[in-house]
Amino acid sequence: MGDRLDYIGQRIPRKDGPAKATGRAEYTADIRLPGMLVGRILRSPVPHARILNIDVSKAIGLEGVKAIVTAKDAPGIKHGFVETPRYPPDQYPLATDKVRFIGEEIAAGAATDPYTAQEALELIQVEYEPLPAVFDPEEAMRPGAPEIHPTHPKVREPYGNIGGKTETEWGDVEAGFSESHYVRQDRFESHLRTHGYLEPQVTLASFEPGGKLNVWTSSQGPFLKRAKLARTLGLSFSAVRVQKAYVGGAFGGKIDLFSHEFCAALLSMKTGRPVRIETSREEIFSAYRHGQPLIVEIKTGVKRDGTLVAQEVRVINNCGGYRGSGVVIIFLAWGFIMLPYRLPNLKYEGYAVYTNNPLRAPQRGHGAPQVRFAVESQLDIIAEELGIDPVEIRLRNAREPGEQLPNGDNVHNCGLKECLEKAAEHTSFRKRYGQKVSAPSPNTRVRRGIGMGVSSYFGGSLIYPNSSSVVVKMNDDGTVTMLTGALDIGQGAETILCQIVAEELKVPVEEIQVIAADTETTPVDIGVWISGNAYVSGNATREAATRVRRKLLEIAAEKMEAYTGDLALENKSIYVKGSPGKRLTYGELVAASIQRRHGDPIIGEGHWRTMRDEPYHPSLASTKGRWSENYAFDVQVAEVEVDTETGKARLVRAVTAHDCGFPINPLLVEGQIDGQVSMALGHAFLEEVIMEEGRTVTPNWLEYRMPTIHNVAVSEHIDVITEHYEKDRPYRTKEVGEGYVSAILAAIANAIYDAVGVRLYSTPFTPEKILKGLGKIR
Amino acid sequence: MKQLIELSVNGETYELAVEPQATLLEVLRNDLGLTGTKEACGTGECGSCTVLIDGRPVLSCLTLALDCTGQDIVTIEGLAEGERMSPVQQAFQDCGAIQCGFCTPGMVLSATALLEENSRPTEEEIRKALEGHLCRCTGYNKIIEAVNKAAGQMAARQK
Repeated sequence: MGDRLDYIGQRIPRKDGPAKATGRAEYTADIRLPGMLVGRILRSPVPHARILNIDVSKAIGLEGVKAIVTAKDAPGIKHGFVETPRYPPDQYPLATDKVRFIGEEIAAGAATDPYTAQEALELIQVEYEPLPAVFDPEEAMRPGAPEIHPTHPKVREPYGNIGGKTETEWGDVEAGFSESHYVRQDRFESHLRTHGYLEPQVTLASFEPGGKLNVWTSSQGPFLKRAKLARTLGLSFSAVRVQKAYVGGAFGGKIDLFSHEFCAALLSMKTGRPVRIETSREEIFSAYRHGQPLIVEIKTGVKRDGTLVAQEVRVINNCGGYRGSGVVIIFLAWGFIMLPYRLPNLKYEGYAVYTNNPLRAPQRGHGAPQVRFAVESQLDIIAEELGIDPVEIRLRNAREPGEQLPNGDNVHNCGLKECLEKAAEHTSFRKRYGQKVSAPSPNTRVRRGIGMGVSSYFGGSLIYPNSSSVVVKMNDDGTVTMLTGALDIGQGAETILCQIVAEELKVPVEEIQVIAADTETTPVDIGVWISGNAYVSGNATREAATRVRRKLLEIAAEKMEAYTGDLALENKSIYVKGSPGKRLTYGELVAASIQRRHGDPIIGEGHWRTMRDEPYHPSLASTKGRWSENYAFDVQVAEVEVDTETGKARLVRAVTAHDCGFPINPLLVEGQIDGQVSMALGHAFLEEVIMEEGRTVTPNWLEYRMPTIHNVAVSEHIDVITEHYEKDRPYRTKEVGEGYVSAILAAIANAIYDAVGVRLYSTPFTPEKILKGLGKIR
Repeated sequence: MKQLIELSVNGETYELAVEPQATLLEVLRNDLGLTGTKEACGTGECGSCTVLIDGRPVLSCLTLALDCTGQDIVTIEGLAEGERMSPVQQAFQDCGAIQCGFCTPGMVLSATALLEENSRPTEEEIRKALEGHLCRCTGYNKIIEAVNKAAGQMAARQK
């Protein structure tokens, strides 16, 4: 402990704010290159069919059309979100022999203007032989269902269309259930939602004559995109450069390789001109990857005092036409079940099922909202049966600091119990729960309720690119430049990394320049899609800045004939403690270093890999192996109002007690929490992508209702600090980007029950379901 | 066939040849390179493309460029004075009302139009003024805070 913190923990406004507020921030669609062509994608109108023939001759003949590509023009290399021996890639960037969902990419064209490009697509003739299709995962599992892909060879049950399975157990569930005082089984379902990023999917590719492919794309990290583009195009990694552009939101929906990225690249390679493909909002709603509804069947046994004894859980995921992240979510669902509470006996199985829907992506929380909704709802049912209040049953089972998880991980600085106590106290939960009070309004048909939920989320795992490196270099004038592969997608990555450099070097954030997210000029980064930025990229940044600080101190000690221990840093200079007049500026120290250290202008590098001794990521099949070394915990309390006549419910107030270690920037942490509360509110009440036979019938924001400024809940934050930032020591601060979208969903469901006694087993929480629960409609 | 028009944008006059079906959004972005105006849906649902015409917020994706001759257009690029951001821009920055930034230009312009007309809006009036703008990142909490803060500053300045 010791040094005063000047930058870490401060409410520093985001570094890129002025560029964004003045319209100068350049997003991918804002980049203009000379001779740029417009690309468009032809998509399958049918959910399942064999492709007999594609005739592009008429399209190519149209004036202004510069190229048309189909699978025949591509190297024929498959890709997948997961690419392992058990789960080999299962998708071509352009459909070859079959299409498996409405919207699957068949061909792409590049032309001088969008109208010509569109007209060209209409001239492409595709002959299909329709095949029977299936859309519901449980129907797809039945023997005799249309086969979309063969069932995974390692799955032994007689189910169809199984793309993947996760299976794990510990203890003895049967023995656990037989010794339990109370056992119950429930089934919870969630519905299809989408990310709702405002910036559309867009890519600009420019192939240079020398063989270099330059790419700007709206993404969640350039390194994974480079790897997948290079592989599917048959290029070497170094032939592909993915560069930074500002990103207008992603929420999990822009991670993996997308066909428009592949096609823009292929069209540029074919024409020798830059090609931009920007998708329409209707295309995004109809053909792009949404989140993943889960069916969660959960059987739980508890002791008389509410202690969890055994759980048996079965999760079914509707993957869509290809695996996508569908085999990851069935692994993660296990993790989100076992994280917050001690569980001596568990049997878990999760199925990823192919259907003829568009494939699916991670969506903020990646399974946690669906799973926590199930677990926390059931826990409240159990608590009521046993006559225990919701806070007590959670406290009884909550994990403690330093506890080992069944997979060998450790929860380290877990602040769950403190979150529970503080959230309960802040909201007077124990006093108000179960009171079934009327809302403080003249309208007595409106009831108010309070509910609680718990969640936990990991921060960084070993999935390519696995690690982060950062370079920090001094400039001649004593300012600093940082090179990081991390991409700011709105969460504030660049700002918090700058704060770490600022803290280590005592240089104001404004005087640190960031060069970011460019596969050519910046070192590799884990990517902003696995909740590892603050921890993995942050520690790499800390190490790089520390190296620079040591070099500055050493050269200062030499110049001033002092011990480094007697020196202190302040405002871009180093002085001798006790004699602040004896001082050298960073500019002078850089000059001295160049003179005395063979030209070294003072550069530091830092590297960080989570679970540095683990060779691989955990097994998606068996859950064996370490998952993460960094777990955030949170407790959220929801206060809702329910109109007992109309069945309409709304979130009035959300309180989030969060153990994120320590907030590097409280302003940004609050922004993350507020955004997640809003997203959960949309999940609970407003948003639904409705598909009929694989076709989206809600392809715009009028029918897909995201929260507007009229749907704002009061959002309060309680920091539970379980970690401190200290110089020369790795820290374990935790994620805040997606862990807080889950417990609040469960809390809303529990609050609705508290208000009107209606238990909801599926999302969204519609007036219809509530009125049915009240017995007012059938 | 293209038609010649004169557009006044951020105090500058431009002579342009535009297609009759070209939207103001397309002309601003493609012909004038003013890419601060964003397109998120192109169908008038999200407010990202908002610009001010004669001081009123307008969806530029639903406005034909031809209809804008003789009108005073202000885009997000026209608010700051040199290095100095406008009070609304500054308040968005200070309050953490910006995350991904894609909705920011439209939000800032609508908030500016509101405060020009009503320097002390109630929270309900703020919601009404910004109801046509989608933001997916912030949950709107800090946006409301920012507009309140800017209102306070503009009111103090007028005193």
